[in-house]
Amino acid sequence: MTQTQELQQVKCDRMRYTKDKFSANLVLVAIVFDALYFVSIYQSDVGSYYYTWLIGASIIYNLLFMLLGFLASEGVKSRKSTYTLPLLLLGVMQFVRMVYLPAKAHAASVEISGETIAVMEDGQYIYVLVCLAISGVCCLVAAVASYLNNKKLAAYLASIEKD
Amino acid sequence: MAELSLQHLEKVYDNKVQAVYDFNLDVKDGELIVLVGPSGCGKSTTLRMVAGLEDITHGRMLLNGKDVTAAPAKDRDIAMVFQSYALYGHMTVYENMAFSLVLRKEDPNLIHKKVLAAAEILGLMEQLNKKPSQLSGGQRQRVAMGRSIVRNPQLFLFDEPLSNLDAKLRSSTRREILLLHKRLNATMLYVTHDQTEALTLADRIVCMSMGHVQQIGTPLELYDTPANLFVASFIGLPPMNFIDVTVKGDQLVAADFTLTMDAAEKKLLAPYQGRVVVLGVRPEGTCVGKDFEMKVQSNENLGMNTLVYGHLGRDGKGERITCKLNGWCNYKNGDVVSISITKKYFFDKETTAAIRMEE
Repeated sequence: MTQTQELQQVKCDRMRYTKDKFSANLVLVAIVFDALYFVSIYQSDVGSYYYTWLIGASIIYNLLFMLLGFLASEGVKSRKSTYTLPLLLLGVMQFVRMVYLPAKAHAASVEISGETIAVMEDGQYIYVLVCLAISGVCCLVAAVASYLNNKKLAAYLASIEKD
Repeated sequence: MAELSLQHLEKVYDNKVQAVYDFNLDVKDGELIVLVGPSGCGKSTTLRMVAGLEDITHGRMLLNGKDVTAAPAKDRDIAMVFQSYALYGHMTVYENMAFSLVLRKEDPNLIHKKVLAAAEILGLMEQLNKKPSQLSGGQRQRVAMGRSIVRNPQLFLFDEPLSNLDAKLRSSTRREILLLHKRLNATMLYVTHDQTEALTLADRIVCMSMGHVQQIGTPLELYDTPANLFVASFIGLPPMNFIDVTVKGDQLVAADFTLTMDAAEKKLLAPYQGRVVVLGVRPEGTCVGKDFEMKVQSNENLGMNTLVYGHLGRDGKGERITCKLNGWCNYKNGDVVSISITKKYFFDKETTAAIRMEE
């Protein structure tokens, strides 16, 4: 066995006893950026533009994202494969959200005291898009990394059992 | 591994209480030294001074010839195993064992190899993914030892590591420590108040009382030739019996019996003619015979032997005495038994020092 192969084997063996902190921490970063998006999206003073059923749905989804994100973080930390798919979906959903509420708000304007005001300025729009994008990418990378690591570990465990 | 030299070590606390007086000890490479003594005798304080957890008030400590008296604990390359295990509850066994190496930022692959090697030695391979709360007391203590082993320190310190375990587990863990010592050939300092642990584990024992070293020697030396009354009473279970006797001519006269001395005893006690000395008799140094009588109070059958408790004299008004007699005896309360002494120890009544032939 070459040195590289041996190192690879030790790396795989380590996975039996260590947690997948990389994936877990990425999901936590995703939650942080989602929170940054959440505290920023409603900050512009535009009268009652946001006061529709959408605001309720948005709040509920944000809470769900944080809860599921945290659960997925703990799950991938323990190298449980069942959390990979939900994590993937959470990541995709962050990109879907980019083209919904922020895009709509950016395109909209309201008239207050005869003056037309944009609901979301360009600066804020870019900021929330970046937050959602980072959050989504973190989820997707965490899901892929977790999947690949789990696959490697499963193959290694199978080879041990075979021996 | 390491050689340790403790020279005139003393510990005085801020409140002027002195815990350790003039402690001198040279530990050879690969030696297992047990510090034994009752609670408050200064053994744990000494160990903590060696670990660097307590400042040394006076004296010097040399590790492999290098003066580390003032060195902080982290720079001494010494590992300590505590009575309370001191494991991190939220970490797995693997993480607990790897923790000190992770802090040192060692290569993760190397850490992995070291942890697995230590786990193999300690029989913890199946427990590596468990949390401490899922382990038995003995397994937890093994994890604590494993955490020390992975560091490959110069010196291992054990502070009453078996005190939290039940009797059966204590016995098996004690054997494991002994095997570990032999396998690693490590220099170890071990603190206990249990003389059985001291006798079974030690290459040499340091017996302490009230901050003073009473005797340093092999287990057999401490058992067979105790330096004074304290060591004689502390080492051996049940403890040694002590009877005041007056040296009169060729006889030893006690309140309840008289013994005739042999030539060696006469020579030994010649300077004590007419004076009172303390006669020491180990319970296992007695048998059914004719030296003195005792009135039985109770007896405990141990299978191979019987422990007989009672008082000296036919009327049972003498001093308390314990004898360990061969076989299964069924003495009842009030029975009078004649006992012979197979081995005698003598101590100076005033200085408490053992009276021995000059070498």
